[in-house]
Amino acid sequence: MKLLKKISILSLSILLISNYFIINGYSIKKNNIEIKNFSLKNTDGKYISLTDFKDAKGFIIVFTCNHCPFAKLYPTRFNELNSKYKPLGIPLIAISSTDTIMYEEDTYSKMVSKALNEKFNFPYLFDVEQLVAKNFNAQKTPHAFVIWKENEKWVIKYSGAIDDNGAEPKKVQIHFVGDAVSALLNKKPVEISETKSIGCQIYFRK
Amino acid sequence: MKNINLKTLTSLFSILVLSYTIKAQSYNTLWIPDTLRGTNFNLALKDTFAQIVTTGNQTITGGINGKIWGPTLFFNKGDSVHFNVHNYLNDSTTIHWHGMHLPAVMDGGPHQVIPPGTIWKPYWKVTNNAATYWYHPHLHEMTEKQITSGLGGLIIVRDNVESALALPRKYSVDDIPLVLTDRKFTSLNQFSIAPYGDSMLVNGTLRAQYNVPAQVVRFRILNGAIERSYNIGFSDNRNFSVITSDGGLLNAPVSVNRYILHAGERIEILVSFVGQLGQSYDLKAFNTALTNSIAGGETFTTGPFGSFLNHKDFTMLHVNVVAQTSSPILTIPSTLTTNTLLSAGSAVITRSLTISDSTGVTNPVILGPNAFVLNHKLFNINYINYTVPLNNTEIWQITSSSGFGHPFHIHDVEFNILSVNGVAPTAAQAGWKDVVFIPAKTGPTNSVVKFIAKFDDFADATHPFMFHCHIALHEDEGMMGQFVVTSTNTAIGINEKTKDPKDFFLYPNPANDKLYISFVDPSMVAYYIRITNSVGKTIYMLPRPELSNGLDISSLSSGIYFIQLTDEKTKLTTTKKFIKE
Repeated sequence: MKLLKKISILSLSILLISNYFIINGYSIKKNNIEIKNFSLKNTDGKYISLTDFKDAKGFIIVFTCNHCPFAKLYPTRFNELNSKYKPLGIPLIAISSTDTIMYEEDTYSKMVSKALNEKFNFPYLFDVEQLVAKNFNAQKTPHAFVIWKENEKWVIKYSGAIDDNGAEPKKVQIHFVGDAVSALLNKKPVEISETKSIGCQIYFRK
Repeated sequence: MKNINLKTLTSLFSILVLSYTIKAQSYNTLWIPDTLRGTNFNLALKDTFAQIVTTGNQTITGGINGKIWGPTLFFNKGDSVHFNVHNYLNDSTTIHWHGMHLPAVMDGGPHQVIPPGTIWKPYWKVTNNAATYWYHPHLHEMTEKQITSGLGGLIIVRDNVESALALPRKYSVDDIPLVLTDRKFTSLNQFSIAPYGDSMLVNGTLRAQYNVPAQVVRFRILNGAIERSYNIGFSDNRNFSVITSDGGLLNAPVSVNRYILHAGERIEILVSFVGQLGQSYDLKAFNTALTNSIAGGETFTTGPFGSFLNHKDFTMLHVNVVAQTSSPILTIPSTLTTNTLLSAGSAVITRSLTISDSTGVTNPVILGPNAFVLNHKLFNINYINYTVPLNNTEIWQITSSSGFGHPFHIHDVEFNILSVNGVAPTAAQAGWKDVVFIPAKTGPTNSVVKFIAKFDDFADATHPFMFHCHIALHEDEGMMGQFVVTSTNTAIGINEKTKDPKDFFLYPNPANDKLYISFVDPSMVAYYIRITNSVGKTIYMLPRPELSNGLDISSLSSGIYFIQLTDEKTKLTTTKKFIKE
């Protein structure tokens, strides 16, 4: 009986959560996150903040890194997304938040060479204290967020994978990030507002 | 909004239907792991990805020197094998050499944790008989996750006895490794961490098929699943010959048409395809024959233990018979070896263990009635269950009141089964084993399994060996215990306890390629050396390092390092600093 009761409470709460999904289009968890401004060092040595982009309607924020094999598949696509959406007021910012004690490949000097060698057209920021990743609750590299300005606050509109095929860009069927940004630009709700990010786990030191 | 969600659902549903249709279409060629031979082995554990599902996103996997699983290692009995195990994973891990008889400090159990970015260098002399063994992660509470990701590999040991027999041994041609697992995939093609999968994988291949020559073919089969047992047989119900149990050849091939292989177990079988050119057969799991107390025999398809493969007969590998190779093996030998099994009378002690569900286990409070425990206790990494004197021959008697069957695995030794519920083992199990299936109780009657083992060669009062249920989920939940093997020579004497840690010097310092260690007391032996860099990251873990030629530090980048040395006798640790130029 006890078990039955538990199950019914559980299914009720699932029902409630799914209702919430239907009404709001994104989960309570994401809704509760208050995106704080940050100031992180770019690979050109300058510090970058969200507030530097005065005309931005939104941002594509990607947590990524040097070492992760799945993250290595995406820089070309990051360049393409930034080329397409930065002129429309939605720049892409990449942030590396992985533990550099664990991964020497993710240290700042190696980020600088990667950004140069692979001709990144977007900022690649070093989240040395992992605070920004914690603020976003970023899980994996790569983990993309689309944030949008609403009532002078940044609200997460999409969280998850960039698209649905890492190694074979030509076989991508759903461009999660691109679709979310297009919808927002057209003042439409984001159809798929959350997917699971796929890649290497970001471990937090504390 | 509701419409949109309906649309999403519909599109998801059509993706599902589509993938199902694709699934039904075609076979994939069985992937054969690469091989590594010799005495020096480099293994690099990596987070990577593989195209396992035919279409759509790649699956994030754990790979060893490759995209999933690891190379098959060939050892010759009598050789000393040396390893560089590089952990490039995001996580700490361990690599356990399942079935190998070796020092506990080299065993790769939960005590030999390899932090990320570290190189672990175990080595040992191979004393195991020719058979198929394997290696896999064994980090406590992470085993299910890391094995699910695909980390692991096979070990093939060769010896003079096996080499003298007319057996198939052309790897991937007539000697074919089959690693049986099953996995659940998420809608994004990722592995779910779940005890049972809905998709059968052989060597990481979905819907696998393989061409076999029209001759006698040897399959080396490992049950590498998280939980499921496979009731192995062929679609034409043919007989096949079992030639090994886990740890060596049987006395003679045993002809059967079914064999239930439980998690962690290995068998090698010979199958004759002579005169069957052009035919196709399926290697199947006839799991409708399993009761609901054997993993995979449960009937449910939903819930945490639900699976579409439960209590089903399903194909594991489709085989097509093709032309014979040159110098084919055409007959199955009538005898294999003469095993001298341990006699019950030689045992000096019988240890009684229990398996039960966790009801009543209150310290710590756990799990609920569906978890299982050994000796009414959850695993505690600081608690040594047994101290086994070196060279003891022991009977381990396991009494189970559990309603579920458990594959019980013990490290360090290969054992002989004495009896299962009072009955002597079948011929196919009457050899060297390191996993034994403990059946569920029958009605109110507990099941009792006895095996006998000799604990020789390796004594170490510090690092224990493990025993546990090889269902990774049960093991992670705490169905595990540990024992140390001690000899009077290595135990810390009362008078020695107060001794100071032994001193040593490093030279040259700063060093470039080689770092030498000089002991003040020349009789001192290094039990363990750990080299860390200036920010505390462990670079090398060196169990019982050979120091006469110095430590090779050529691959370290320049900077300050710390060397922690643990003395063999006192187990006290001293740390010194050195500079790499």
